[in-house]
Amino acid sequence: MAELSHAPKGSAVAAPAGTGAATARRRPLPIPHLGRFAAAVGRRVLMLAILLALVFAAVELLPGDAATATSERGESAADIAARRHLLGLDRPVWERFWDWMAGLFTGDLGVSARGEKITQMLADPFPNTLLLAALAFVLTAVASVALGCWAAARPGRLIDRVIGHASTSAFAIPEFVVSVGLLMLLSLWTGWLPAVTVAGADGRPATWTMLITPVLALVIPQTGWNTTIVRGALADQAATPHVEAAHLDGLPVRRVIWRHALPGAVPAIATGLATSTGMLLGGTVVVETLFNYPGIGSVLASAVSTRDTPLIAGVVVCAGTAISLVLLTADLVRARVLGSHA
Amino acid sequence: MSTALTTARAPRGSAGRGRVIRRLVPGVLLVLLALIGPFLAAHPLDKPVTAPFATAGDGAPLGGDQLGRDVLSRLLHGGTALIGSALLVAAVVTALAALAGCFAVLHPAVGRAVERTADVFILLPPILGIMLIALAWPGGGRWAVISAAIILGTPYAVRIVAGAAAPLADAGYVEAALAGGESLIYTATRELLPNLRSTILALFGLRFVEAVYVISMAGFLQIGPQPPAADWALMIRENSSGILLNPWAVVAPSLAIAALAISVNLAATSLAPRSARKAVITP
Amino acid sequence: MDINRRQVLLAGGAIGAAALLAACSSGSGDTAADSSGKGGKPRKGGTLRIGALGRAGAITRDPHGTQANESDYLILALTFDTLAVPGAKSNTVPRLASWEPSADLKTWRFKVAKGAVFHDGTPATADDVVWSLRRLRNTPAGAARLPGVKNADSITAEGADTVVVVSEYANADFPLMTRFATFVMKKDTPDKAVAKAPGTGPFKLDWYRNGNARLVRNDKWYGGTVYLDAIEVTMFETPQAMANALFAGQIDVASNAGPIAARTAESRKDIQVVRRPDDMSMPIVMRTADGPFADPRVREAMRLVVDREAMVKQALSGYGNVANDIMGTGDPDYAKDIPQRKRDLAKAKQLLEDAKFDLSKTYELYTTEDVSGIADSATLFASQAREAGIKIKVVKQESGTFYEKTWLKGDLYTNYWGTNDSVLFFASKTLLSGAGQNESGFDDKEFDATYRKAIGTTDKQARAKALHELQQIEYDRSGYLLWGMADGVDLAAAKVQDLPKLPGYGRVQLENVWLS
Repeated sequence: MAELSHAPKGSAVAAPAGTGAATARRRPLPIPHLGRFAAAVGRRVLMLAILLALVFAAVELLPGDAATATSERGESAADIAARRHLLGLDRPVWERFWDWMAGLFTGDLGVSARGEKITQMLADPFPNTLLLAALAFVLTAVASVALGCWAAARPGRLIDRVIGHASTSAFAIPEFVVSVGLLMLLSLWTGWLPAVTVAGADGRPATWTMLITPVLALVIPQTGWNTTIVRGALADQAATPHVEAAHLDGLPVRRVIWRHALPGAVPAIATGLATSTGMLLGGTVVVETLFNYPGIGSVLASAVSTRDTPLIAGVVVCAGTAISLVLLTADLVRARVLGSHA
Repeated sequence: MSTALTTARAPRGSAGRGRVIRRLVPGVLLVLLALIGPFLAAHPLDKPVTAPFATAGDGAPLGGDQLGRDVLSRLLHGGTALIGSALLVAAVVTALAALAGCFAVLHPAVGRAVERTADVFILLPPILGIMLIALAWPGGGRWAVISAAIILGTPYAVRIVAGAAAPLADAGYVEAALAGGESLIYTATRELLPNLRSTILALFGLRFVEAVYVISMAGFLQIGPQPPAADWALMIRENSSGILLNPWAVVAPSLAIAALAISVNLAATSLAPRSARKAVITP
Repeated sequence: MDINRRQVLLAGGAIGAAALLAACSSGSGDTAADSSGKGGKPRKGGTLRIGALGRAGAITRDPHGTQANESDYLILALTFDTLAVPGAKSNTVPRLASWEPSADLKTWRFKVAKGAVFHDGTPATADDVVWSLRRLRNTPAGAARLPGVKNADSITAEGADTVVVVSEYANADFPLMTRFATFVMKKDTPDKAVAKAPGTGPFKLDWYRNGNARLVRNDKWYGGTVYLDAIEVTMFETPQAMANALFAGQIDVASNAGPIAARTAESRKDIQVVRRPDDMSMPIVMRTADGPFADPRVREAMRLVVDREAMVKQALSGYGNVANDIMGTGDPDYAKDIPQRKRDLAKAKQLLEDAKFDLSKTYELYTTEDVSGIADSATLFASQAREAGIKIKVVKQESGTFYEKTWLKGDLYTNYWGTNDSVLFFASKTLLSGAGQNESGFDDKEFDATYRKAIGTTDKQARAKALHELQQIEYDRSGYLLWGMADGVDLAAAKVQDLPKLPGYGRVQLENVWLS
């Protein structure tokens, strides 16, 4: 199928479409290994700090505050003021922000609007979300590479077209639509899988079967997105001289893809998957709520409704750190592959 | 250069045009149907006509929703605002990205700022961003979600345009225009943009799909449209409690969103040449 | 139907103070539980898996903290005892303490129950109760939770087992206020140890993690035999997820699952539906002090416009009863003889015309999504009012914004109350002129005088007469449009017996539950 094969020469934007051309241009970084690593880490940390400042400011703009949000009916203005003082909300914004940022270095995320320790509140939900997202991430990676390769092995044929259409369709459908569909299909109508997640004494899902539906709900849309990227990157590689040469040598298509095309496509695939991390973590907000999964997505949903600034910021720290790490890994993968090929 | 992994491009000309038209039809039809839907609806969107979650029967071909309102009528009412908002978001983001992207290429300082902004925003899952912005502006309703979608979508889109424009900026004629004393704005709009047509078209399509995703996700999280509005995402959320009583109350709006996203995506991918399409999804 | 924020029952303020108090109720609404419950003699043993609503971000372990989660409250109520609890025959029955008022109804003496011991073996004393009540009074919400108790010094111990509480004013219903939040911990329990503090309740905490918990039977409980070996509480973000868990057999009881889940369960033989009448009132509040609804004729017209049967059928899915604009429907002295107000559009239009009500304007009706069905009731009312030519636009607000901007101030808004077993509760809290939570700005000299008559007398007949007069005034001219009462709806597997049938927080009393 034409649309996923390589760029026709002479098209207006053909030249930059090559994988990583733009990204490579952005970060040439001819510095030695360690320096490059430190620079990449530093940059990501700085970005995270800026984001946290933005989030803190955004929550400050919310009307009302945690004191009014957690007050009870019948509390007078004086009672609410007392509550505000108790929570330290009467101190200047910058002072609270500074204290909070300083606490980050000791792993202390402060206390929530209800006076609970946030590090403790997230101690179980965050690993649960990581588990959910990591499973979804791995499955997405495997499925999209497999589907992308399958399509690339039979370019223009029926299977290529089917995968092409299915994947562009899948990434357009919101997670909640997929979730509701899976819930009906796999649990409520057939009774094959548990409908919700119930946590045990260790704070983890009681059985592994409880993970299947939530993971699938996250994987399907993201696989759609990444399959498109994999297929596109493979098409680009197909046009490179060494892949053409391998093909002309009469090597089997599978071997050409696996040994010659795929390695070159890795930077684009890594970047695509890294971008998916944010979408995966965002999707957990909805998926966790629907399946009662005990993760930070559901903590976030409730924190937003009670304007629990420190708690929202705590969740952003966790999500932001996870995304930063994945992006950093992608940076390094790209640097390594591009470095060795250049 | 035709290897086993690539195929000859689809032939240009009438066959190609026919294929493009075939792919445009479902999207256009669906958008039209959603826009004239309110006039086809048998009942007003907030009038109970049957029991809550009544199964399909007379007067309500798809049964009742959580207040016994006609699901079909609400479905017909529910697409206009979603599609309208998504079009607006896609248009504004694409326009902003086109302009800012060209400036970023012609002006390295702007380019760096765009890069950094995109780097910051990529750390914030879009849903989280929407929640924050919509809550910071209570009563903003749909407009809060639209603004959030624009703010969060733009940096990424700018980066894409900048990526596509970069090689053109190095091309002789742009340098010539700048050297010839033409203003930055003139160069951007007259020399760069016309050559980015297909990228921008593909970007618009992708942004529309993305906007449908983000706006319906916000609707599902009950940020944005408020009851009794008949919004497809809101319908899914409101009616999910009765999914076993009247599945249509949930299935119908789900199918509507899925069909809209898929058909528009199909239309968008067939409008732009595939290189441009790839340019907008390659991060 | 909101599936997201309905849990903010306490935080949003719904049930603050005494609002958790539940009604005396005959518990007649339920059929399934009755038929299966009569099946046999209570049997010891078994683990009950119960689901309750709660949100991860709102978890509180402090018994005197701001509880927003039904799941947390359930766990606390099983572990700790309050001084009094809701009862079936009388709306307030003794639990950890029994009581005796002074003649002027201002000084109340609470006597700690004999044999009450903490889970670690130490006996519960007056000192523990005084310490706990003072701790409660010193929280920011203390004044609202112990109304009339001026400060911590008003609570003192008298000997080893008697606690004296002084109210600033005569209050015949003072014990009613001790049914919620008066959880008793051991004296001097440090704040850090609160999460693991021993209680005196029917169950001991085995483990607690992120809103979920397992509790085991307290064999030494002073209150009677406890049948269940253990209770496992699972927290659910949404009623849907909770109902789905029950349908899939992952839990045995879905507490407060709501009417839609109940209708889904109707076709299933293996699930019983427990209805607890008079659980929740969701009145529409009209401002009486000023604004477009200040004219009593306009308020009367609004009450004639609403189609009560349709509201109950559509907004509550039929799980409720029509009401008659009088708050406190579960009160034993509720005036059943006042004729039921019915829809009368012609009369309503006439009244509006007489009062020169401006029909060209659009009026905003503020609502929240704090409880299931409340936003729906507003939407329905707006659509019904349009048939009388009144244009109403529904505006949904965030819970926090609502309590800050609209509550007690707005011209027209919906609200909800979880305590519906006392006419006097509403009279004193929301209708008396100058009362702190006078939602409609109601100021009626005749009402105030009648209220004083009712609480100042010990003569039963005089009290009953005054109560009836109060309700007549409320029916005629208050700011309330109370169209119906929602049932509390729990779902349970067939094997679960003797589930509580009390409205409100009476549903947390699981000590008599057993499994067949």
